[in-house]
Amino acid sequence: MDRTKAVAALIVLLALGGCAPSGSTRPIRIGSKNFTEQVILGEIIAQYLERRLHLPVERRLNLGGTLLAHQALRNGEIDLYPEYTGTALAAILKESVTSGPSDVLARVRSAYLRDFQIEWLDPIGIDNGFALVVRGSDARGRKIESLSDAARANDGWILGAGYEFEQRADGLPALNKTYGLRWRGRPKIMDLGLLYKALDQGQVTMIAANATDGLLSKLDLQALRDDKHAFPPYEVAIAVRRDSMLRTPGLREALLGLSGKITNSAMQALNYKADGEHRSVADVAKEFLDTSGLR
Amino acid sequence: MPLVEFRNVDYEIAGKQILAGISLSVETGETLVLLGRSGSGKSTALKLTNGMLFPTRGQVLVGGRSTLDWDPVALKRGIGYVIQDAGLFPHYTVAQNVGLIPRLEGWKEPVVKQRVDQLLESVGMPAAEFRTRYPRQLSGGQRQRIGVARALAANPPLLLFDEPFGALDPVTRFELQQQFLAWQADFGKTSIFVTHDIREALRLGSRIALLVNGRLELITRAAEFANAGSPDARAFLACL
Amino acid sequence: MRSDLANDIPHLIAEHLTLVGSAMLLAILAGVPVGILLTRRTGARRWVLGMASVMQTIPSLALFGFLIPIPWIGGIGQRTAVVSLFLYALLPILRNTFVGITSVDPGVCESAAAMGMTDGQLLRQVQLPLAAPTILAGIRVATVTTVGTAAIAAAIGGGGLGVFIFRGVASVDAEQILAGAIPSAVLALLADWGLGWIERKLSPR
Repeated sequence: MDRTKAVAALIVLLALGGCAPSGSTRPIRIGSKNFTEQVILGEIIAQYLERRLHLPVERRLNLGGTLLAHQALRNGEIDLYPEYTGTALAAILKESVTSGPSDVLARVRSAYLRDFQIEWLDPIGIDNGFALVVRGSDARGRKIESLSDAARANDGWILGAGYEFEQRADGLPALNKTYGLRWRGRPKIMDLGLLYKALDQGQVTMIAANATDGLLSKLDLQALRDDKHAFPPYEVAIAVRRDSMLRTPGLREALLGLSGKITNSAMQALNYKADGEHRSVADVAKEFLDTSGLR
Repeated sequence: MPLVEFRNVDYEIAGKQILAGISLSVETGETLVLLGRSGSGKSTALKLTNGMLFPTRGQVLVGGRSTLDWDPVALKRGIGYVIQDAGLFPHYTVAQNVGLIPRLEGWKEPVVKQRVDQLLESVGMPAAEFRTRYPRQLSGGQRQRIGVARALAANPPLLLFDEPFGALDPVTRFELQQQFLAWQADFGKTSIFVTHDIREALRLGSRIALLVNGRLELITRAAEFANAGSPDARAFLACL
Repeated sequence: MRSDLANDIPHLIAEHLTLVGSAMLLAILAGVPVGILLTRRTGARRWVLGMASVMQTIPSLALFGFLIPIPWIGGIGQRTAVVSLFLYALLPILRNTFVGITSVDPGVCESAAAMGMTDGQLLRQVQLPLAAPTILAGIRVATVTTVGTAAIAAAIGGGGLGVFIFRGVASVDAEQILAGAIPSAVLALLADWGLGWIERKLSPR
């Protein structure tokens, strides 16, 4: 009698396990690349999904680089991760990035859907492209807000930049071609970690930084608007596997809740909290979700 | 006038008393042996003699003049100094080592060379064979002979020996002790000789001064040391 | 090799050698005399050797950041890079000078003093010749290390073979990275071999 009961229970259990939709048992796996901004974005997505869907979420953050994250996504080891449109076009699709933001997004979208069955959702709101930055005091004095304004300023600028900006065709050459800025001396090429110090100490008067650098929110600086679109767009959007969205109803809608919700200046502040104030990423992400009214 | 005289000499370093109330004199031509155990202060007494150290209290007179009143370089150059393992310069040849003080004193080169050759012969090291060798190519006994030759180079009236034969095997030590007596006879130098070996003291000294814990326990003619009654003297004699 | 890389190599090697040469010259001019001084002023020894050791533990970017605002020696460019390389090279030279001199047989120094040699004569005629192989070994270690670390000069616009390495890393160009790394390794080997040869010449036969 007892034995029959036990066998029956076992059969029921096995049947339940076998029939249940796999999506409900497997956690949603969220990836990110291995630098601060990516880890913060991954953590925000993870916490946001936990709040909205009340589903288990697995964090696979800090994947070592674009190619690794992309492979993990294609193999289904992760369901989604945040990526930059310009990076996807250049590094994954090996196409040159010469057009504006909407065109780049459209090209990435169609190629990813066709080749990888991966969907790019609507951008999150960040565009982390090259940003030319000057000291706030210089900008205010001469009313400089955009790169065209900077080109009109008569005295030459001293440029500080990293090797990537110097080397890439869509970096320094694109800047020179589009705006014809007047330079004083050759650009001073250095490690990215020293750019802000060099600008702050007057060793250079303009730096080629990245638009979401944490220090932009902290120091008295002016990031110049790229009003003639010299630089390629690096809009952040979440790239998700289609089968993951089919498996987990509501995942797509939930993720779209983040579209357009994080601005460059918000991202600067988040980066600064993690890098400059050495706060934990989980803490920084939670604070962001609590204060931005996302739910 | 004694060549060297200690007048009630104390020596302290870092609050530690090394020598206390030493008074003694060394007459021209004699060999005074300073006998004592390790740490009895005998090497310190030597360094007080040539001005490498100066007394905390009292005076050391050399040639009737306090070591403090001597020009320090002149005092040292006038006193030959031989230490254990000779302290030869390893990067100098035998000839360069022996000719060191004469050269420092500005002797002319031919004179230096002549003097070096003569000294090498007199310590039993033929110049032709040894002058271009380096110290590490010599045996311990040979290095010690070169050390003596170097000390004699500028013909100083006084020689200080700080346990010079301590590191040598017994046979070589005996040979060098015999050689020492021969040199004494030949050159007629005044010597102060530090040792902890009672046999060496009896063999080489004209007088023996026994140092115990920085004090002068007794000073006596070598021939009479065997009759000394102090317990420390008896302890040394018991080693014979 | 790609012609763009081949064209740049000669002047980058020249810059690299200038960086290493200037830093080593300064490190020797400062390290050997200070090392000698430490054997005379033992009180300062722990402080000076301690500071030189701490220098070596400072990451280069942090050191650059610290040097940028300092007038005369700082700024962006070759000068700051040379100053950093100099600070990194100081410890082995200082330490080997100190150790080389203090490990001269005390009996040798004692007999030199007993013969009425002045401190200057003792130093020039005895201690320095005997310490020379040790000092040179320190210079050799410092030079070989500096040839390698000089690549960081590119992080502050100081030029040298590090430019290839930094550019290569920025543009994921392995060939360019190797164009910087291989000549740098060859220079290090040549420096090691050349100074080793001099060292053997100076050592007692």
